[in-house]
Amino acid sequence: MKRMRLEDILINNVWDVDYEPHIVVDSEKCVGCDTKPCINLCPAGCFTLLGERIVFSYEGCLECGTCRVICSRGAVSWNYPVSGKGIHYRFG
Amino acid sequence: MSRRFDAVVVGAGPAGSTAAYTLAKKGFKVLLLERGRVAGSKNVFGGRVYSKPLEEIYPNLLKDAPIQRWVVKERFSLAAGDTMLSLDYESGESKSFICHLSELAAWMAKQAEEAGSFLVTEIVVDGFVLKDGFVKGVKIGGEVVESDVVIDCEGVNRLLLERAGFVKGLKADQVALGVKETLRIPSTEIESRFGLGEKEGLSWILLGDFTNGLPGGAFLYTNTAAVSLGLVLMLKSAHSLKEHISNLLENLRLHPLLSKYLKESSIVEYSSHLIPEAGSAMLKRPYSDGLLVAGDAAGYLLNLGYTYRGVDFAAYSGYLAAQAYEKAHAEGDFSKMGLAWYEHLLKQSFVLKQMLKFRKFSKLLDDESLFSKYPKMFCDVAKALFAFDYEVPTLMEALKRSKKDVGLLKLLLDGFRVVRSI
Repeated sequence: MKRMRLEDILINNVWDVDYEPHIVVDSEKCVGCDTKPCINLCPAGCFTLLGERIVFSYEGCLECGTCRVICSRGAVSWNYPVSGKGIHYRFG
Repeated sequence: MSRRFDAVVVGAGPAGSTAAYTLAKKGFKVLLLERGRVAGSKNVFGGRVYSKPLEEIYPNLLKDAPIQRWVVKERFSLAAGDTMLSLDYESGESKSFICHLSELAAWMAKQAEEAGSFLVTEIVVDGFVLKDGFVKGVKIGGEVVESDVVIDCEGVNRLLLERAGFVKGLKADQVALGVKETLRIPSTEIESRFGLGEKEGLSWILLGDFTNGLPGGAFLYTNTAAVSLGLVLMLKSAHSLKEHISNLLENLRLHPLLSKYLKESSIVEYSSHLIPEAGSAMLKRPYSDGLLVAGDAAGYLLNLGYTYRGVDFAAYSGYLAAQAYEKAHAEGDFSKMGLAWYEHLLKQSFVLKQMLKFRKFSKLLDDESLFSKYPKMFCDVAKALFAFDYEVPTLMEALKRSKKDVGLLKLLLDGFRVVRSI
């Protein structure tokens, strides 16, 4: 068995991605956050570093809510995707 | 569809569908709202459900529900490096089953529908309709649906309760993060690798270096033709994680002592979910004027370290919320006075009795030494006793050698704390 990259693990999931993001991250507020726990703890790897900046992409979101709980700077505006969009768990 | 219901239930998970099912069976007009494409498509759990409370609610559970395997083997392991110390319990009698939660939740929602509730999916509720602090219905888009009572089963991310000011935002010390890979393995392989018969299942809880010494643990459940393999990390201490959480899950899958069970498997789903860990402190009072709260949203879940109970707690709290509604309806009082019966029912039932009984345990799970030092210590003792060339040490010698990191007094005190809290 080989170690799999996160993107190759994620590709097995089913999503119906909305055009509008259900989570908005104000990355200005991330400037000066020295721990940035979102990077390692978002299970879908939605938070990445580009240079010094946090880049957020909502497409692979698993809707667990971890980012809204661990962000101590109030940078995450979190909502559920509308109209049945987002992750579609077949096993759960 | 008329705009007025006896009750609106938010969320068709185990709590919500059970509340709707129970109310509809009693003849009430119930609207069950689900944000997913189908009921169950947003639900995630570890893998196992305790059966009895659900049998009481759903008389056709054993005959019709999507049960995959019955747990006949319980394994609890402490792991350190390439060593593992395990305790196995086996019995012909089973009290719990393994399933896919998406399937079980869909089944429960179908029962609710067949009993007469209106299930509407792909609906996100924006907020409660509030009049002088009294919940009078829900807002969806620009529309309003009115009801005597809203039964909030929205899950652990309590956006509605937060927006209405009933609770503050979740804190990291109130939840754990669970991540899981569902691995496809043929059923005959599952049976031969784990020593199981047809329909027989294994529940396996592991503590040790899978979580890099952070409070949490790992689990493995055997489904019919899949294995649910996952990790749980207490979110409070997870800040100090130095690598991505998916790496830890991959380490688990590739662990030399686990990979032999998982060879030639393919990942069919990767899921994650927050787990309420603060017990009844998650929500001071699970009811208000025109409002009842059940399931994860109320924090009704029990983590004992060696087993998790979430689905039966959630479903049973939904069942009791429906009973409380019935009484309030008979008395024509949907204020918090009229709905306070819900808490009484919870306190009379296993849900709050068990959560109060084990409330000390969740504090214990915060102790990092329990997760970083003890698994290694116990594995070292086992190694000294079982793996020797010429001379085997006495148990005391083995203990003395391995307890360097801990100290005998701390070991005794911790042992006492563990025994006292479980």
